[in-house]
Amino acid sequence: MKIVVAIKQVPERDAPVRIDAAGRWIEEADLQWALNESDAYALEEALQLKELHGGEVVVLSAGPERVGSTIREALAKGADRAIHIDCEDLGQRDALGVARLLATAIQPEDPDLVLTGLQSDDLGYGQTGVILAELLNLPHASLILHVEKSDTGITVKRELEEGWFQNIDLPLPAALTIQSGGAKLRYATLMGIKRAKTKEVRRIAAAELSAPPEAAVVLDRIALPQKQKITQVLSGSAQEAAAALVEKLKFEVHAL
Amino acid sequence: MPLGISPMTIWYPRRPAAQSCIVGCSTMVPMPFTLAEPAAFPLVERILFAALAIASGSLFWRRFGPIFHRILQSKKDADFRLAPVGRRVWDFVSEVLFQSKVIRQRPLPGIAHAFVFWGFCAFALVTLNHCAVGLGIGFLSPEGFFGRFYFCFAAVFALTCAIGILGLFIRRFLVRPRWLGAKLSWESGFIAFLIFFLMATYLAAFFVPAGSTAITVLWWLHTLTLLVFLPIIPHTKHLHLVLSPATVFLSRGSFSRIPPLAGDEDFGLVAGTDLTRLVSLQAYSCVECGRCTEHCPAANTGKTLNPKEIILGLRSYLNEFGPASSEPLLGKHNPPVAPFQCTTCGSCEFQCPVGIEHLPILVGLRRGAVNTGAWDDDHGAKLFLSLERGSNTLGMQAGERDKFIQKQQFPIFDGTQEYCLWLGCMGGYDPKGREIVADFARVMRYLGTTFGVLRKEKCTGDPVRRLGNDLLFQQLAEANLEALAQNKVKKIVTICPHCVRTIQEDWKEYGTPPEVEHHSEFMARHLSRLPRPSQQDSIVYHDPCYLGRYRNVYAEPRTVVSHSGQLLEAERHAERSFCCGAGGGLAFLGEETGERVSHVRAKELVATGAKTIGTACPFCNSMFRDALASSTDTAPQLLDIAQLTARALPQQDTSSAS
Amino acid sequence: MSGILVVLEDREGRIGRISWEAVAAALQLSSFARQPVHAALLGADTSTVAAAVAAKAVDGVVRVEHPLLQSYTSDGYTHALEQLIRARQPDFVVFPHTYQVRDFTPALAARFGQSLIGDVTSIADGPLFTRQLMQGRLTGTYRHNGSGPCFVSVQSGAFRSDSVTTGTAPVESFTPSLEAAQIRTRPGAPFRAAAQTVDLGSAQLIVSVGRGIKEADNLPLVQDLAAALGAELAASRPICDNGWLPMERQVGSSGQTVAPKVYIAIGISGAIQHLVGMKASQCIVAINKDPDAPIFEVADYGIVGDLFEVVPALTAAIKAAKQ
Repeated sequence: MKIVVAIKQVPERDAPVRIDAAGRWIEEADLQWALNESDAYALEEALQLKELHGGEVVVLSAGPERVGSTIREALAKGADRAIHIDCEDLGQRDALGVARLLATAIQPEDPDLVLTGLQSDDLGYGQTGVILAELLNLPHASLILHVEKSDTGITVKRELEEGWFQNIDLPLPAALTIQSGGAKLRYATLMGIKRAKTKEVRRIAAAELSAPPEAAVVLDRIALPQKQKITQVLSGSAQEAAAALVEKLKFEVHAL
Repeated sequence: MPLGISPMTIWYPRRPAAQSCIVGCSTMVPMPFTLAEPAAFPLVERILFAALAIASGSLFWRRFGPIFHRILQSKKDADFRLAPVGRRVWDFVSEVLFQSKVIRQRPLPGIAHAFVFWGFCAFALVTLNHCAVGLGIGFLSPEGFFGRFYFCFAAVFALTCAIGILGLFIRRFLVRPRWLGAKLSWESGFIAFLIFFLMATYLAAFFVPAGSTAITVLWWLHTLTLLVFLPIIPHTKHLHLVLSPATVFLSRGSFSRIPPLAGDEDFGLVAGTDLTRLVSLQAYSCVECGRCTEHCPAANTGKTLNPKEIILGLRSYLNEFGPASSEPLLGKHNPPVAPFQCTTCGSCEFQCPVGIEHLPILVGLRRGAVNTGAWDDDHGAKLFLSLERGSNTLGMQAGERDKFIQKQQFPIFDGTQEYCLWLGCMGGYDPKGREIVADFARVMRYLGTTFGVLRKEKCTGDPVRRLGNDLLFQQLAEANLEALAQNKVKKIVTICPHCVRTIQEDWKEYGTPPEVEHHSEFMARHLSRLPRPSQQDSIVYHDPCYLGRYRNVYAEPRTVVSHSGQLLEAERHAERSFCCGAGGGLAFLGEETGERVSHVRAKELVATGAKTIGTACPFCNSMFRDALASSTDTAPQLLDIAQLTARALPQQDTSSAS
Repeated sequence: MSGILVVLEDREGRIGRISWEAVAAALQLSSFARQPVHAALLGADTSTVAAAVAAKAVDGVVRVEHPLLQSYTSDGYTHALEQLIRARQPDFVVFPHTYQVRDFTPALAARFGQSLIGDVTSIADGPLFTRQLMQGRLTGTYRHNGSGPCFVSVQSGAFRSDSVTTGTAPVESFTPSLEAAQIRTRPGAPFRAAAQTVDLGSAQLIVSVGRGIKEADNLPLVQDLAAALGAELAASRPICDNGWLPMERQVGSSGQTVAPKVYIAIGISGAIQHLVGMKASQCIVAINKDPDAPIFEVADYGIVGDLFEVVPALTAAIKAAKQ
């Protein structure tokens, strides 16, 4: 099975968020970067499929020079080779624009399976994988926790809301977006990093793939959320506090 | 036998010189004590002796040769330096010649052992001469001044050696301490018998007339014992007679020194090819005394790990597969779970009398499993992943630390303050650790010491270092070193001994860390300026492994405790202190099998009857907090030394100080 | 043509709360865009739900019906809605941000050369759409650029479903042309995770108890609360150590890591060992008599008080609220 995993480098979870002068994005200067969490699960799923059925895992990532470190990490965890789309203006493209870039790079690979994480931890559009399927004319399923090979293709376990799941049969080739938590992630090892040094990373300039189209959706400005998480202490007698809590659970948390 | 009388003035049957004596001569006159030696041997006996000696020697080599070869065949220790020789000589004199470690840690059997050892040393010349006599080229005459002196001198040692070995025999076969293993070692008994017999046959020669058949019989008995003893040495743990002096001399020298990985193909101790000469030498040096087992928190609470078995497992591996094998080290001879049950408390290495360095081996085995991805553990993977993505071992958001800093109004370190107050994961995120940091900050403010905290801090990498994840450790060490250099930090103070150790020693592999000290050292230095609390409760102090054995800091926290109360000692304390169970990354590895180490230690601390348990490490504190919560009795108060000290400070609002 | 099309989700013959919220969002959008709002329903037979929607203040209801829309498939829904949108050419298409919507709308939007503005939390004049970025640490304001329909999905709970007033709307039908071959995936029936004895990991609601409960005999107090809520019961380590509850109910560093929608910590002070096991919960409620207990630092809602008074009162209040 040949699997392409599209991964994204995102600011590290604990990175400080400081809005830049233009007010359109955060200061990237002293950020630290990491592999997007659900992409890590997509990669893990791909590696496990390869371990079971053989084949090849190709990681694909778009972004500037710094993305190289995340690609190395993916190679260290076991991917066979990588494609790095050199792209300085990723932030100016909307979900469709990014997906177009990736789809053009995937096309010649002709994979059996295209995997992406469910959504990115920074922009959180949650669309790239589904649009990729559309652009590559592949059947798809999203929010996938587990993939199993079947006689006719694959059977995937999809997460539904409120603790429900569903199995879906798909023919191959197909595209899937992978939900976090379905598999056990492997940690990066020194041996993996050393072995990754000799693996192929092909770099393609974004301009070779597609001209930046005019975005249909534009991020105008960003802001810090008005309300930070604070503890609301519910006072009064036991009955009053209990009643207040039930009110909150019902109307603010929607848990009742 | 007239024991305890000065040998030089002993009453003894006079023996006519140069004449054969009649056994049973009865005239008793005082005269110097003289050894009887057989006269020249007939050629047949000389040839027989020579043949037997050659046979014994070759039997010895047949076994020892391959061992020696295996040690030499092992990989070179890339970081080995003979310098400083002075330290090595000192260790050798102190630990080998004076048997300091052997005696200090187990006084009675230690002295018995020292007697045997010194007996052997004194005997070297005697034995050499003894063999020379067999070949007719004896060089020490029992009649000559030096000979007479030396034989008597050796006789004293022979006597103490015989007593010593008898004592050790009684201990092993009658007292039978648990850590010597459940199985009686008959080979040890036989060796003890041989040693005793060697001494007895030597001493007996003072009591028989020269030239008698008895003296020839004694000579032969002594010689045969010697010739049997020699080839047995490399077959048994008595190999330490030959190897341990070298092991002590060649040891890495500093406590728990984890060697840097050498080259692109070194991932730690994966297979035989990764065993270095020092590791192989140490594996063959083990004398199976079980001191490591006796003190090991894992071995004492029902875990698989037994440090002695780890070393013997490596020895069995070398015997079966050799140092060129690619067979995994964790497998047939060492169970893969065992190294991961180690708290890295270091008792084993600290106790070992033959120079074995357990921690580089245990951590080395972990490195081999983790650096290659062979170690599959849910909790371990979770810890690694949270440090790959985030900043702390607890998987908390860095924003939580920011909130704490704001709440406490800690200034941000900007280069103008004297100290950088390193919070660590526990100090930054653990509610209890935060209390400790807050109280220590109060102490610093009271003293007028300026300090600041870093805006961003990553875990020092202690748990991943001990768990053998070199990739992650390097990333954390480098990121922190860079942040400290950028902020121009010169001095660090922290409440966590694990941070202290890792910053000071382990980071050295990747740069030059700033000066760092533990808050116990800081407070001890300023104690005269700190108020004493009015009530002086009894406080039992628990030594954190990483402050005690790792840093040799025992006195400072005790003076701090004594300042705020009446210091009590637990049964095991100072360098023999028993671990809390958190070290070596184990605080993050989920539930232990068997009894919990923390519960064993907490019980011991409670048993002192102290009103308060004083700790000096946030991990110990956290472990005991849990352990005490599980006991239904009214538990003593649990306070860090910073909290003990801060109790006596006048209440003041923090805003005025900042 | 113009207008706002809001696509609702039929959940076993009912319109869920989040779909009503999408209607509310569409109505708000119409107050800026001054355009009519039509609601679309997809399925093999949408008569029941269509009647419910027609009784609300929308300008029209479209029943998009086809036997192949009996159960949801991304191919079926994408094709059907593509045809509807091409036929009606709305300026805005609004969805509730459900798992189902996330599964097909990005592909649908791509067919029109558009990108979805997903998971929107508020809509302002412009129109400007606000959504969360960096996992809630930032908000971003988006606008639609150029021509073509603008696809928007709205976050659960962001709009008031009770703001949708009643009315009468005409109902029309739309029959898309679909072929079985166009549907490439075969969905199975939904199922729940195999009923395990204790499954804290996937529990939506957890009531967790700590040392504050004092003795095992008091446990029924929290068991009643868990039963009233339909929550799983969990505990901190000392409770399991004492054998009051089985080990598999332990939450924390040496037990399970959980992330329910609501985590109610009762008599738990909040040692780090416990916090690391539950800090990812969406909403944390702490009930503790010690106002300085560290658990309050991570709680969204706190009640400082005696759990022996608060918990029975809470159980009663929940039972009353559920009636």
